[in-house]
Amino acid sequence: MAASRTALALLLFAPLAFFAAFFLAPMAVVAISSVTTDGDTLTFAHYARILLDEYHWDVLWVTFRIALMTTLICMLVGFPLAWYLVRIVRWRTWRRICVILVIVPLFTSNIVRSFGWMVLLGRTGLVNQALMTLGLTERPIRFLGTETGILIGLVYILVPFVVLAVGNALATIDNSYEEASADLGVGPARTFWFVTLPLCLPGAVSGAIIVFALAVSAYVTPALLSGGQITVFSMLIFQQYSSVFDFHYGAALSITLLVLTLVLVGIAGRIGDAGRRAA
Amino acid sequence: MARMHGLVTASALALAATIAPASAQDALHVAWYGGNWGDAFKSCVADPFTKATGVTVVPEVGTSTVTLAKLQQQKDAPTLDVAWMDGGVSELAEADGVLEPLTEAGVPNLANTLPQAIYKNDNGIYAVGTGYYSLGLTYNTKEIKEPPASWNDLWKPEYADAVTIPSPANSSGVPFLFFLHKILNAPAGDFAPVFARIKELKAALFFDSSGAASNAFQSGEVVIGAHFNVGAFDLMAKGLPIGFTVPKEGVWATDARLHLVKNAPHKEMAQKFIDTALTPEASKCLAEKLFLGPSVKGVTVSAETARKLPWGEKGSVDNLYLLNWTEVNAKRAELVDTWNREIAHK
Repeated sequence: MAASRTALALLLFAPLAFFAAFFLAPMAVVAISSVTTDGDTLTFAHYARILLDEYHWDVLWVTFRIALMTTLICMLVGFPLAWYLVRIVRWRTWRRICVILVIVPLFTSNIVRSFGWMVLLGRTGLVNQALMTLGLTERPIRFLGTETGILIGLVYILVPFVVLAVGNALATIDNSYEEASADLGVGPARTFWFVTLPLCLPGAVSGAIIVFALAVSAYVTPALLSGGQITVFSMLIFQQYSSVFDFHYGAALSITLLVLTLVLVGIAGRIGDAGRRAA
Repeated sequence: MARMHGLVTASALALAATIAPASAQDALHVAWYGGNWGDAFKSCVADPFTKATGVTVVPEVGTSTVTLAKLQQQKDAPTLDVAWMDGGVSELAEADGVLEPLTEAGVPNLANTLPQAIYKNDNGIYAVGTGYYSLGLTYNTKEIKEPPASWNDLWKPEYADAVTIPSPANSSGVPFLFFLHKILNAPAGDFAPVFARIKELKAALFFDSSGAASNAFQSGEVVIGAHFNVGAFDLMAKGLPIGFTVPKEGVWATDARLHLVKNAPHKEMAQKFIDTALTPEASKCLAEKLFLGPSVKGVTVSAETARKLPWGEKGSVDNLYLLNWTEVNAKRAELVDTWNREIAHK
């Protein structure tokens, strides 16, 4: 008993030490610097400056709006894709190829992919050329420097997370539930709505939370695709660290975004739980 | 026997020390930038230095601000000996007290350096420039045949939605506002006219990284705008139809500076390294590789390189608008905040 406890402690030690050194310690540094001044006196002035200023709430609203839209579109695109991969594809090789196609972009850096979108979405880019050739628009549509542009970039980068999370949930659902539902005379649409969907809700919610958290904190994609004309919160944080050098104010901005995101993720988690209980 | 053994070990160590004086511990640690900048610093300065002294140079790659953060963190026990940092960050480092003054006794080549490139205060010389780069008017030669003569061309209606200038997230963003302030003859300390003018600008993007600007010029998204001479000539070298010009108002410029770290573990060698960077050979090499305007007196470069220097074909350091960085740093937070609210906010 004692031996196994020692073994457990040893096993736990490595991940805990790693977690403390690379997550808790930097986090503590940021948290402390957000409530101090250069003279190391305690102050909440940085938070007051953020929370009492309508401008910051404006930027937060833009940030959360973009993240929510990204999550919504990722779910709408990712869910059918996951369904197709798990339920419709019968040929195993083709399924493997599809999974690889979904995952491979994750191996390329965000910077490269966002630069790619800058070229595609530009005034003379492929998207506008195609739209004009098809006669859908007479003048090039402005994508760069708009929320639409940022949304396109973020959805493209984050869709794989939904496909993987939902696909995993779908694959673990026991077919016999759906068969039972059909045996009891319920049509496929109602079976999906009352049986399949609630069963894969936990997977869908975790996918949505990952996408939302990544979209809220995204820097590279919004920074490049906004063309500096739209500000999201992470850009304010970057500015303070990189060009204003006010680390205290920058830290307070970071903690503000972190806390608000955690609150929203917490609410989403509750919704997921409620959904599961209802099922 | 034991004594014998000790003797052998000692002489072996001594021998090793003479053959390879630059074991990892004795290597000189130099902070510089990444990409082609680091490559150029290596081949123009570090390699000749190692050849002459036998001391290995270990690069610590990072942007100026990252280097400053490192220097602040290792204030009590520095591992860095020498650091390259840009103008602006250089002043912040000096204010933080992480730099050691340079002297002509330690760095004799300071005598051959342009007076503008020697930065001193009451403590002495805290930095020395190793080459200038500028933010000039860059344009697409396919769309614009004649080189634009003035910065005012950015506001021409035919370039609407195809213009770029730096955003404050870029190191040149805030300085560029000071430059506009100067060429608009705005009243001292009042930036309202500058922001009013930028609001009238129909920009395609405000670039936050030099790469984003290059990308926009390359794809044709932007046909005219501000860009670094280093980036513009890189695009030209790739065969793109890009031109770079110094308009009649001049250009804003800054420099990559060398600093001796306070309590550097290898002070003597560090000074020698800085001295090597200030030789005409090193300065010429940096001009050819990075198009940095030489800060060393009497450096002659090829006609091809001269065209690409930050001050343009016939200019000199006098054509550059060099900022008083202390003034810029004092106004930095305020200008970034105003920009966020006025320009990057709908």
